[in-house]
Parts: sequence; structure tokens; C-alpha cells
Amino acid sequence: MTSAKTTPAAAAPGPGSAHAGQAAVQAAGLAKSYGSTVALAGLDLHVAAGETVALLGPNGAGKSTTIGLLLGLLNADRGQVRVYGRPPSQAVADGLIGAMLQDAGLMPGVRVGELLTMVRGLYPRPLPLDDLVSLADLESLLRRPAGRLSGGQAQRVRFAAAIAGDPQLLVLDEPTAAMDVQARRNFWAQIRRFAGRGRTVLFATHYLQEADDAADRVVVIAGGRKIADGPPAAIKARFGDRQVRFTLEAGPPALLATLPGVHAVDHDQARVTLHCADTDATVSSLVSSTLRWSGLEVGGPDLETSFLRLLGEQS
Amino acid sequence: MTGFLTLEMRRCVRDVRYLVIAVAMPIGLYLLFTGLFSAHGQRAQGLPQPTELMVAMIAYGAMWAVFSATGPRIAQERAIGWARQLRVTPLTPASALSGKLITALAAALPAMLLVALTAVISHHIRLGPAQWLALLATMWAAVLPLALLGLAIGYLAGDDIAFPLTMALYFALGALGGLWMPLSVMPHPMQDIARILPSNSLAELGWQIAGGQASAPTAVLVLAAWTAGSGLVAILAYRRRAIRPAS
Repeated sequence: MTSAKTTPAAAAPGPGSAHAGQAAVQAAGLAKSYGSTVALAGLDLHVAAGETVALLGPNGAGKSTTIGLLLGLLNADRGQVRVYGRPPSQAVADGLIGAMLQDAGLMPGVRVGELLTMVRGLYPRPLPLDDLVSLADLESLLRRPAGRLSGGQAQRVRFAAAIAGDPQLLVLDEPTAAMDVQARRNFWAQIRRFAGRGRTVLFATHYLQEADDAADRVVVIAGGRKIADGPPAAIKARFGDRQVRFTLEAGPPALLATLPGVHAVDHDQARVTLHCADTDATVSSLVSSTLRWSGLEVGGPDLETSFLRLLGEQS
Repeated sequence: MTGFLTLEMRRCVRDVRYLVIAVAMPIGLYLLFTGLFSAHGQRAQGLPQPTELMVAMIAYGAMWAVFSATGPRIAQERAIGWARQLRVTPLTPASALSGKLITALAAALPAMLLVALTAVISHHIRLGPAQWLALLATMWAAVLPLALLGLAIGYLAGDDIAFPLTMALYFALGALGGLWMPLSVMPHPMQDIARILPSNSLAELGWQIAGGQASAPTAVLVLAAWTAGSGLVAILAYRRRAIRPAS
């Protein structure tokens, strides 16, 4: 996975890019509420041209609202967002942005090929149809009715529609939600091929692993604010919290916090949850300790818990 | 824009609901009504009945054509998120709206022509070339407020009710607008209502032209008012609803 990654510096804009060195996305103090529900509470976001950035957060963190604002689908209550130096709706009208929205459908009653030809025609400098077909792996789908595709096929066509105009910035809102593991892997390979042409990619996800695999940089948002921003490895170390659970039969509970790798301990009566980065090390030291325990369980990264902990630390 | 428009039109032609209801139904009703009633009876404007019914059914077919190309279709596109996806392409809102409008008007033309053709073949309707041209061109232009009404429904109504709502409106405007039976057989309050409906005004223009007259200021005024009103609602609804999924 790491071999395919590019650093922002290495991802020099390709020959087709007219926006080298410019910020792709520049947002400051974005705030948006729906009635009494605060979706965004002052978000700053910077994405350099050529970068692939993940917007990581739990459901309801404000990811879709952020994307809606930078596509011009929503208006901010406060703050400002610029895409390649211009208002979002202008950037959309100029054909600089391609987007794959959550739950966005395809035009009914037409064939995939007809649909993509039409979408290409809306952009000033579209991708050649052959390039588009190979980038999104569509050979077998062009003659199919767009309204009658499987979930994974529809997702490929939606991806193709998003990149049909060869946009400078590709925005994806939880693009892999309906995909199985294999489809997900293929999808991210396609995204990397597209980004490799010097394009900027911003995607929202609530999977830490996906952010780690695909992004140059991860911006973590929760509760409508940015709570972390950094390279995937650093974010993973901070949020890739795993858990070891067991029932403590006998032994001093104070010992638990001293086990290797443990950075937090929760008790629910005798049931103990250890939060740790390296569960192997924790479990092996638990086995060799004087503690008596039963009902051992090891849990994977739990973003929700990590977010809540980090939000708690911040407030 | 041209690509968008041609694809919209291609979709429309493939739509079975359009073909059956907009084309087959007015033709079927024309043949039925002219067969049921005496062909020598006189109806609106003192026109022979086959001519009067031809104009009524041209209006009827055109009305469904523009409704089916707009209301239910747009509501569905909003529900499945296609409207949203289109919003993040460079297609401007003005182009999206006018594309829908032009498609709807284009859809009306075959329905109108086929009813006229049926009338000519089955009842030997004879009008001068200039009269035919004036009749069809005027009625085609007069469908505009109904197309705008369809757009407004498409951007206001949810996917679940857009089709039944459009259907209900189609029947109501047809029956109350005097397309099924002449206004003269209706009670007076209903006649007054009919005269302010766009369906009646559309047919009224046609009857006037078929009868050799060319002045229907009330009908023109009514159509202008419906055009302004529906157009305004359609634009406001588009700005408010196109980007959000139907909920």
C-alpha cells in the first residue's frame, strides 16, 4: 500500500494542471447549523493542489456538511471557503470540481455510455472517453441501462461521472459505503491512478483504515470541529485504539494501567476494558502477570471511542 | 447543454407512459367521442363536432405530454439524487431548467400532430394550410404555462405523490376545462371556473382559429397569468429544492 502513496511535494501537478502551487481548498471558520443542531462550529481546512486528503470522522461529525459547502450545495452561516481561489459555485461552473456524493443517483432511462458522453459534454476539457473507460473499468457497462446496475457497478459509473470532466479537484463523500472488500480495493486503486495525474482528491470516510491506506494526509473532524490533522501514521497512532476486555477475577486493579501499551483503563464492575495500541504485547503480559481473569476478548480500532476520548481531553 | 438536451429528449421518447397516455389516449378518446355523439352536432364556437373535439384532444394530449416530461420525472430525479449530482457539474441552473422546458414542449408536438392526423383521416377535417399552421403553432406555444406548472410540481412534490398528483391535475384540468364536454352543458359557476383554467384557454385559442376567428383576449390573458405564476413558482422551487434529496 505505502509504495503507491505520493507525498504532496512529489505529486507535482501534471501537464494538464493549470493550478500548480495554488491551494485547492482554503476554508476558514466555517460554521453551519440546521435549526438548533450545530453541524460545523468553525472549521478550518487547507488542501494543497495535488494532495490526497481524507476527512475522517464519525457519523454526524460534519463531513457531509463540509463537502456540501465546498461544492456550493450549501451556504455557510459564517466563514469562507475558496476552491482554487474562487467561490465554490464558480469553481463548479468552471469545471474544476468533480464530485461523488453520498446517495447520488444516475440519470434514469439512458445507457451508461450515453450518460457519460453527456456529462463529458458539460466540461470544457473532458477526459477522452477511452481514458475514462479504462480509468473506471467500464468496458462491460457502456451499453447497460444506467438505472439497472448493481451497487458496485453503479458506484463505478458514478466515479466515472465524477472524473468525466477531468476535474482538478475530485471530492468523494463516503465513496465506498456500498462496496465489498474487493470492490473497495479496486476503487482505491482507481482513485490513486486518477490522483497520479496530478489531481487533488478530498474524501470523507469513517474508516480509519481507509484514510490510512489512501490519503497523504488525514484531517479528523468530530462535533463540527477539526480535532487532528497530520500524516496517516500519526493519526493512526493516536486514533487506532484497540481494546482488550476481560473479567478480573483476582488481583490488584492498579496493576492494569502498568501493563505494556495500555493508555486507558475502564471498569464496568469486574469487567475491565484496556485501551491499548499493541494488543499482542498487552495480552502476553497479561498472561504472564499474577492477575486472574476470564472471558478475554480483543477488539479492533474503535473510532467512536477514540473520538469521544479526544473530545473529552480537549474540553 | 446540447448534449443534455438531446439526451433528455431521447429519454422522453423511450418513456412508455408518455407514448401510451399522451399519444394513444387522446387519439382513442377522439375516435370514441366522435363515434358516440352525432357527428353533425355542433359544440363550442359553432364548430362541427369532429373539429371541436380534435382541438380539445390536441389540447388534452399536449397537456399530458408536458406533464409527463416534467412533474413525475423531475420528482424521481430529485428522489434518487440525480438532480443533486447534476448540480455539481458545470450545467447551470438556467440550462437545467430550460432543458427540461424545451424537452417538455418538444414532447407535446408529436401528440398534437398525431391527433390532428387522426382527425383528418377519420373525419376529413379540412382547414387551409395557413389555418393549420396557426392552429398548431398557437396551441403549441400555449402549452408553455402547463409545462411550467409541471416543472413546479417536479421541484415541489415528493416522488411518491408527483405521479398521482400530475394525473389528478391532468384529469381535473381536462374535465373542468371543457375538453371532455362543452362548457355550455356545465352549470354557470363551473363555466366561470373553466374560463380561468389554462387547459380551457389553450383549447379556446384552437377553437377560435379553427372557427376562422383570431381574437381571444381573455384566453391569452389567462395563459399569460398562468405562465407568470407557474414560472415564478418553478424557479423558486428549483432554487430551494433541487439540491436536496426529497424527504
